[in-house]
Amino acid sequence: MTTAPTVDPTANRLAAHGLHLRYGDRTVVDGLDLELPGGAVTAIVGPNACGKSTLLRGLVRLLGPAAGTVTLDGSDIHRMPARALAKRMGLLPQQPVTPEAITVEALVRLGRYPHQRMLSPWSAADQEAVEEALRRTGTAELRDQQVDRLSGGQRQRAWIALALAQDTELLLLDEPTTFLDLRHQLDVLDLVADLHAEAGRTVVMVLHDLGQAARYADHLVVLKDGRLAAAGAPSEVLTAELVEAVFQVPCRVVPDPETGTPLVVPRARARAGAAAG
Amino acid sequence: MTALALPVRTLARRRARTAAWSALAAVLLVLLTGVALGTGRLSISVWDALRALVGQGDPGNVLVVQQFRAPRVVSALIAGAALAMAGSMLQRLFRNPLASPDTIGVTGGASFGAVLMIATGASQQLIPLAALGGGLLAALLLGGFAWKSRMAVTRLVLVGLAVQQGLAAAVNLMIVRFPAELASSAMQWTTGSLYGRNWTEVWIGGTAIALTAGAVLLCQRRVAVLDLGDDSAGGLGLDPGRDRLLLLLLGITLASLAAALTGPVAFVALAVPHLVRLLAGPPTLGTLGLTALTGAVLLLGADLLVLHVIPVHGLPVGAVTATLGAPWLLALMIRQGRLPVRNS
Repeated sequence: MTTAPTVDPTANRLAAHGLHLRYGDRTVVDGLDLELPGGAVTAIVGPNACGKSTLLRGLVRLLGPAAGTVTLDGSDIHRMPARALAKRMGLLPQQPVTPEAITVEALVRLGRYPHQRMLSPWSAADQEAVEEALRRTGTAELRDQQVDRLSGGQRQRAWIALALAQDTELLLLDEPTTFLDLRHQLDVLDLVADLHAEAGRTVVMVLHDLGQAARYADHLVVLKDGRLAAAGAPSEVLTAELVEAVFQVPCRVVPDPETGTPLVVPRARARAGAAAG
Repeated sequence: MTALALPVRTLARRRARTAAWSALAAVLLVLLTGVALGTGRLSISVWDALRALVGQGDPGNVLVVQQFRAPRVVSALIAGAALAMAGSMLQRLFRNPLASPDTIGVTGGASFGAVLMIATGASQQLIPLAALGGGLLAALLLGGFAWKSRMAVTRLVLVGLAVQQGLAAAVNLMIVRFPAELASSAMQWTTGSLYGRNWTEVWIGGTAIALTAGAVLLCQRRVAVLDLGDDSAGGLGLDPGRDRLLLLLLGITLASLAAALTGPVAFVALAVPHLVRLLAGPPTLGTLGLTALTGAVLLLGADLLVLHVIPVHGLPVGAVTATLGAPWLLALMIRQGRLPVRNS
């Protein structure tokens, strides 16, 4: 069952309006106005502690705003019933907890939680969603394995499968490539790209690597100190000036020889010194 | 089963093991019940004792079994099942293999309520109610001190320990100031014992425990989702803080009801979930039944030891579960070669 990509840029639009997010007294996101295009892949990037993961937590309601609102297609997510929201947005957190000895299939089945009523039995639709999620993530042959015994890359795909079984149009991923080696990083990003291209999902993810963000995202959000530094198409946003201003790294931005998307190449130290002097 | 579903070996194997052990535990439960009902000054065979329980056979047997022995036996079964289920629930919610009514304040709270009643010289019938109230007081303290952190698991563990220690200290203060006679009765209660149960207590306690256990069963999906960590649970539509508080209340109610019936019997709630984990795998909806059966069998078995094997008169069953439970749990862990620490 392949769903034809139905990319409607006016649906599944997440937006922040004057958003302030705090942990205790510490303001992490400081008055952010942001609109994320529907039907696209958005990458949120920025230096450590710039608030990018906090922003993602705010967008999925894990963190309530100190001020401002988050809207999905115009309605305040804090006024939506939790279950209804969970049917529209799936989340892969940065550090999910793997229950002891759980099998891949049992894990993925939990993704159906928002679709189940308290006494409703496991339905054919539930099983179909689980099979589809296992197939898309290539974890069908691992279904019987214990998640805590999988490799990092396999485990990440199992967790993505859980989010897919949730069957939401929006998928939010918090640093999905952390702790993975290069091959598995690309595996995960290719999988995300396929989900967008083949299944028409709207994806929002926090990424570390600017080159990967430029390659895989249609829309880039650059944060610095909890504020928006820039937003837009990677080719327009990712300039040497911006990277230097946000990351304090003198660099050149060249076209990626593979894809033509912008590639950030930090300047060698001696030259950077010369350039600065 | 649809043709779509492929064979799921690990799950199927665990289910088969759970079913097999549950069947064995059920047989043991019936046998031990028969033995417990048949043993005493008037000796009755297992079969006749079981028949007498349902009112069949010799009227003398029926009288002895129904009026004198059954309330105690049924209390042991109900309380054992409730304690084991509560322990399993608490260990999952706290993501901690040490969580049990003894470590999060339920034991302290129940003892506090009961001993307070003993101190005021109130009627014996009020003691179970006071014990239940004390257990719920512990829940209130837990919720009150951990709510601000949205019931964060690390905070819950520490708050629970503090609540337990504080209430236990209050109990000790009261007992120290008691005259010897009251002190001994208070000690007996706080160790957990099955003497002097009557049908009224069994019916009320049993009904309340059955209702709470039913609610626990209904919430198992929620517990499984909370196992994924607060972020994932939030993404799946739970409110982790609120839902953990709700489930915690259910678990504590179950443990408090057991304490109201028998006093805070130690170790059943802690040990049974670990035993079930070794026998049948990690906790699921299916293993909950096995957990309840195992708790019932163990508490009844311990009470049989108290009544008919250990030659000490008036020994509380809680003393036996603690004395035998500790080395037994250690042996289990040594055999397994690892401590049952959850991955998190």
